[in-house]
Amino acid sequence: MARYLLTRAWQSALTLLLSTIVVFVGVRALPGDPALALAGEDRSPEALEAIRRHYGLDQPLPVQFVQYVERMAQGDFGVSIRTGTPVSSMLTTALPVTVELSVLAILIAAALGVGAGVIAAVRRGRPAEWLANGLALIGLSVPHFWLGLLAILYLSVATGLFPASGFVPILEDPVDNLHHIVLPAVILGTGLAAIIMRQTRSAMLDSLSSDYVRTAKAKGLRPRAVITRHALRNSLIVVVTVVGLQLGGLISGAVVTEQIFGLPGFGKMTIDAVFQRDYPVIQAVVLLTAAAYIVINFFVDLLYSVIDPRIRVTGDPA
Amino acid sequence: MTNLSVRDTNLPRRRVLRAAVAAAVVCTVVACSPVSNSGGGGQPGGDQSAGQDSFGTPADPAAVKQGGKLVIALSAEPDALDPTLSRSLYSRYVFQAMCQKLYDVNEQAQVVPQLATALPTTSGDGRTVTIPLRPGVRFADGTAFDSAAVKATLQRHLTNARSARKSELGPIDGVDTPDAQTVVLRLKQPFAPLLGALADRAGMIMSAQALRTRGDDFASAPVCVGPFKFAKRVPQNSIEVVRDPNYYDASKVHLDAISWRILTDASIRAANLRSGDAQVADSVSTQDVASLRQDTAVSVLQSQSLGYQGLTINVGNVDGVGTAAKPINRPLAQNAKVRQAFEHAIDRKALVDAVFNGLHAVACSPISPASTFSSAEAQTCPAHDPAKAKQLLAEAEVQTPYAVTMLASNTPDTLRLAQALQSMVKDGGFDLKINPVEYSSLLDEQDRGNFELLQLGWSGRIDPDANITNFVGTGASQNVAGYSNPQLDTLLTQARQAGDVEQRRKLYGQAVTVLQQDDALIYLYRQRNLTAVSKQIQGLQVFPDGVIRAAFAGFGK
Repeated sequence: MARYLLTRAWQSALTLLLSTIVVFVGVRALPGDPALALAGEDRSPEALEAIRRHYGLDQPLPVQFVQYVERMAQGDFGVSIRTGTPVSSMLTTALPVTVELSVLAILIAAALGVGAGVIAAVRRGRPAEWLANGLALIGLSVPHFWLGLLAILYLSVATGLFPASGFVPILEDPVDNLHHIVLPAVILGTGLAAIIMRQTRSAMLDSLSSDYVRTAKAKGLRPRAVITRHALRNSLIVVVTVVGLQLGGLISGAVVTEQIFGLPGFGKMTIDAVFQRDYPVIQAVVLLTAAAYIVINFFVDLLYSVIDPRIRVTGDPA
Repeated sequence: MTNLSVRDTNLPRRRVLRAAVAAAVVCTVVACSPVSNSGGGGQPGGDQSAGQDSFGTPADPAAVKQGGKLVIALSAEPDALDPTLSRSLYSRYVFQAMCQKLYDVNEQAQVVPQLATALPTTSGDGRTVTIPLRPGVRFADGTAFDSAAVKATLQRHLTNARSARKSELGPIDGVDTPDAQTVVLRLKQPFAPLLGALADRAGMIMSAQALRTRGDDFASAPVCVGPFKFAKRVPQNSIEVVRDPNYYDASKVHLDAISWRILTDASIRAANLRSGDAQVADSVSTQDVASLRQDTAVSVLQSQSLGYQGLTINVGNVDGVGTAAKPINRPLAQNAKVRQAFEHAIDRKALVDAVFNGLHAVACSPISPASTFSSAEAQTCPAHDPAKAKQLLAEAEVQTPYAVTMLASNTPDTLRLAQALQSMVKDGGFDLKINPVEYSSLLDEQDRGNFELLQLGWSGRIDPDANITNFVGTGASQNVAGYSNPQLDTLLTQARQAGDVEQRRKLYGQAVTVLQQDDALIYLYRQRNLTAVSKQIQGLQVFPDGVIRAAFAGFGK
């Protein structure tokens, strides 16, 4: 186990370093110049030069990279070229929003997806399955932005049930916080819920037709116990894998959802930073996202062994 | 870029406006403009039909509740909240509530005193400008507003390495403070656009104490004189200001707080307005105006523009903007007849009607009809004449259809405009190809000179010099066309040094004639700033400088 952890840690560090280089080079390969984006209408050669000098953009790329890595090593993400705010403070504000949104979206998606998946499998061939399948198809096919717009139109503008935009930190007012974030979380969770439903359904169908379920039934266990304790538990391994793999989709979905609902999270920060060529912000956001991926994958692997004791982590990560 | 406009087909209104402007000019010359902190009165509010301006009206104190937080859905993120460094229109919205200026702009596009008590007096040689300051004024931090603060602010504008104000302030040689209520600016040479600059961010005075303690970090907690003071900013999301008890005219302030929430999508802004999560939405799309007008709870303000949207033709920008012009081996770059042909192929009125539902106004010059410096010459418009276009192309001996590639922003509005242009110029013998790119890339390509023809605009400033010289003056910092005409340079220099309004007006008229002969920049239309406001709100105004004035607004009783 210790050897496995060490190997994974080393691999993670290497991935992170490579990500740093790719992000640094990738951001600078974008057409457009942050100095021009910042100078806007009031640009003049002197102003552009002053902006470039101030943010170190006049230095050769290798020098900029070394300075960037040095600062990162000290936990300094630099300051936003657009607003002059330290990127670390922007991250501190944005991160909790996206984490809350994503966690809530996963919880909603898992509850809806697993529930509908189990029902669809158990009620195979009946209207309940058709309904679950139909909803899943809609959840998969309809883009987030369109669902978000519809939700705003009907649940905010027409009925006033939910606010159309804005965010209240959870520590400031937990009830208001939930009121603001539930709708975006449901929208964000729909796609994932559909995927979870389909995976749960097919895994459950496999499990329900397997020998151990037949044995459990033969032992005289009640159907509910057979489904939850035997079939579902074994099916969840697939679901966890899928959720892990879909987290990337969740983050990209959060970009759109946050933009539509005006949530001050990572996604909105990323879009705005890309449009404004705000290098320090893009770098920090992409790097943290990469780090989050690495950590999530690591924990998904660990979770396998918890859910299914037949899987044991060993020194061989393969 | 956000631009606004006045519709030049509305003749009776233009006459009224001209009369008002003429009165204003007389008043300006004798320095008798009234002192007003909100830019004076307004025109009847409520919805107007397409083509008419509706600036909003000042609030009636008897009909307005005290307190409440106004939420404004803003289309873009303001940059640094530091008057020295700020470069975006959107920061001006926020500054309007918390950073007053020596001078302001009113609804007739006139400059009026704000933190000054009168328009400046200029010495006979035009090199000494004296500004009297409003007494008994305090900054949000409680320190006194005086000539020392003005001096500290102007010196920071002039010396800070990243200052965006330095060039706007022109040839200032020194700032004197004979007493606490008087500032004297010494100039190396006469500089007429100075007043216009002091009615914008260059005239926003910062607390000297805050400048000392915060230095370059001033934007994190800006301190100025204003009805509101800075409270908090969540980058990429919102900015909030709260009522400032130190404000000298606090009885006119009704709201407790104003929050600008950044919502970049126009339909999302409109949805927030309709759901009541925001009471104001800026930059409403011309596509949404009709449906908003049907909403009885919302009114749409439209304000005339000082800027323009146009087409720039690359006539000499080979090595990047600011470098010496070089010949470009293309008939469009070399031969003015080809450019004139392109202009004659454009039907501006049809373009504005088809693409913007007639909400924007036709423009043929950089000088807005609303400007004090406008004249018949400045508003001359080359006719839409496809036959003449073809004839000019034949004279220039180019083969038709003549292919031209246009670089344009990839926003939906611009793309619709580009497509309409494409079909329009076909009749004149042109084959227009559209190359849409994202805005940051467009700026980059423009400055590098990697374009044949490009579509962009300018949000406009109160003084015409700021709308012309920088774009068409030889070697000027935003002359992306690489255009140079010594005769025009002379006219523009004379105009910026002339003290007399009439003389400047005449010179700008001549400059427009030259511009239209060379046609390196083809002006197309002036945007009208469209702002949607909930009818719950009273006293919100938008003037020709495009800035939303929310400081003296309030919720209706």
